[in-house]
Amino acid sequence: MRTLAERLPLVARVAPLAVLLVGSAAVVVGERSPTHLAPELSWAPPSTPWPLGCGEAGVDLLALVAHATQRGVVMAAAVSLVGFAVGCPFGAFAGLARGRVERAASRACDLVQAFPSFLLALVVLSAVARPTRTHLAAVFLLTAWAPFARLSLAQTRVLRDAAFVEAVRALGGGRARIVARHLLPNLLGVVAVQLGSTAAAIVVSEAALAFVGFGTRDGVSLGAVMDQGVSSMLRAPHVLFVGAASVAAASFSLMTAGRAFDPSFARQRLRH
Amino acid sequence: MVGFAVEGALVVFLLATLVFFALRVLPGDPAALVLGDQASEAERAALNAKLHLNEPMGMQYARFVGGLLTLDLGDSIRRPGVPAVARVFGALGPTAALAAVAVVIGAGLGVSAGVLGAGPWLGSRRSWVDRFATAIAATPLLAFGPVATYGLAARIRVVPLPGDPDAGAMGLIFASSLLALPLAAHIARVSRAALDDLGRAQFLIVARAKGASHARVWWLHAVPAAIGPIVTVLGTQLGALLGGAVVLERLFERRGLGTLILEAYISRDLPVLEAAVVVSGALFIFAQQTASALHAALDPRVGGEGT
Repeated sequence: MRTLAERLPLVARVAPLAVLLVGSAAVVVGERSPTHLAPELSWAPPSTPWPLGCGEAGVDLLALVAHATQRGVVMAAAVSLVGFAVGCPFGAFAGLARGRVERAASRACDLVQAFPSFLLALVVLSAVARPTRTHLAAVFLLTAWAPFARLSLAQTRVLRDAAFVEAVRALGGGRARIVARHLLPNLLGVVAVQLGSTAAAIVVSEAALAFVGFGTRDGVSLGAVMDQGVSSMLRAPHVLFVGAASVAAASFSLMTAGRAFDPSFARQRLRH
Repeated sequence: MVGFAVEGALVVFLLATLVFFALRVLPGDPAALVLGDQASEAERAALNAKLHLNEPMGMQYARFVGGLLTLDLGDSIRRPGVPAVARVFGALGPTAALAAVAVVIGAGLGVSAGVLGAGPWLGSRRSWVDRFATAIAATPLLAFGPVATYGLAARIRVVPLPGDPDAGAMGLIFASSLLALPLAAHIARVSRAALDDLGRAQFLIVARAKGASHARVWWLHAVPAAIGPIVTVLGTQLGALLGGAVVLERLFERRGLGTLILEAYISRDLPVLEAAVVVSGALFIFAQQTASALHAALDPRVGGEGT
């Protein structure tokens, strides 16, 4: 039986995300509305009824930040999970195919990963009249698979010559069987480490897109808070700080939660 | 070298094709997007004819590819008579200056930090460099950029606001430094790791034994041997750099490619949007392929069958 102290690192890594999600969920289910405007409270500093103060046209910053964090984090997690589910088998098949296919896949991953996602987002979003969160998710999915495929390819290169893969091949197992039954279970753990940083990057990208004016029309985004903060920098600096802190908090908490998949951690658990 | 050029051209062509079809095949009438819902049938028909949207798709695509080759993607809708490509090249200068200064600052800072973290000067405290770099790399530019601007430009006023026309070189350097910080952090981590890998390589020990100072050993002997990964990470960070430049241009209301793209997006100026995405994509691919080619040229261990 493991003691609490031994479990602590895992708990500590997931805790920030849990606190953030539970905290924002508590606000979201409450009566606070992120779109209710009260012009008389415009740019009001933090006070007891409005713990984070108010923004443009008296919008309740606590409600806005909580709703935006929830939606952003949920979308980022969903997109990175889909990217994970697509990228893992893609990388494994490319690695098994070897030769030209492997090189082409590897180069494609490099290019997609390094390509300015901003440009891709612009292309897709400029074609729709009213961008919704689904459009944004589709845009992020265009590039989100690449880091997973790349890691999965690298790990397949290590595993493909292992004795157990050789054995399946000798027994007549096809490529699909090798990937599904033998490679994927062995590389999921390694590739999963990337989940956190991909999700964090998506949360920040979504906020950045909203900040420059490519957000959803409802205006519920951390980028919209930053936008208000920048335009009222001198009048009401608290808006800027609230926005910056919540973008950083969402990104940090996803990143640390992702580290729970760290292989050194899995080893530590195996020992017990 | 030819391989890099062909691959680059192919990617640009694919991107341009994606742009073309995204703007035409996705649901929504482009003419309605441009003119709004209030426009009359006649107005829409006129715009469709002007943008050649009434022709068969194959014909439109052939025209678009021809335009790509001759760098003529039509006139801007909002500024009739001005070629879209000309507007894009006009906006390119400020963004290129911002990104270029950021690359110089980022590479300088990053490699210096990497040498500091790998060399003997800090003793047991050298891991601090890595921790510091990790913290910076993990902090989004979107969060610290505006806060730093508030603190340094609005409160203490040690730097001018880069959007100010009188800001001049100081404004550019401040904006570029913000953009360079995440880049420097990535480069610091990679160069520290690459230098650590060299570790106690024989040629470093020989150089030290011949009486070279630590600074000489690390800067003159170790850094050139570790330049490959540094150039590669620079190449992979260019995309993030471009995204960061757009955010900073919006933050400082500075003219550039980012503001042009936003303006074209809001006013649905399709030719300018197409030209902007294709030109910046081409530039990005060019920079990336240059980084790859440079890596191959600098490091004889890379190239040919590199996987």
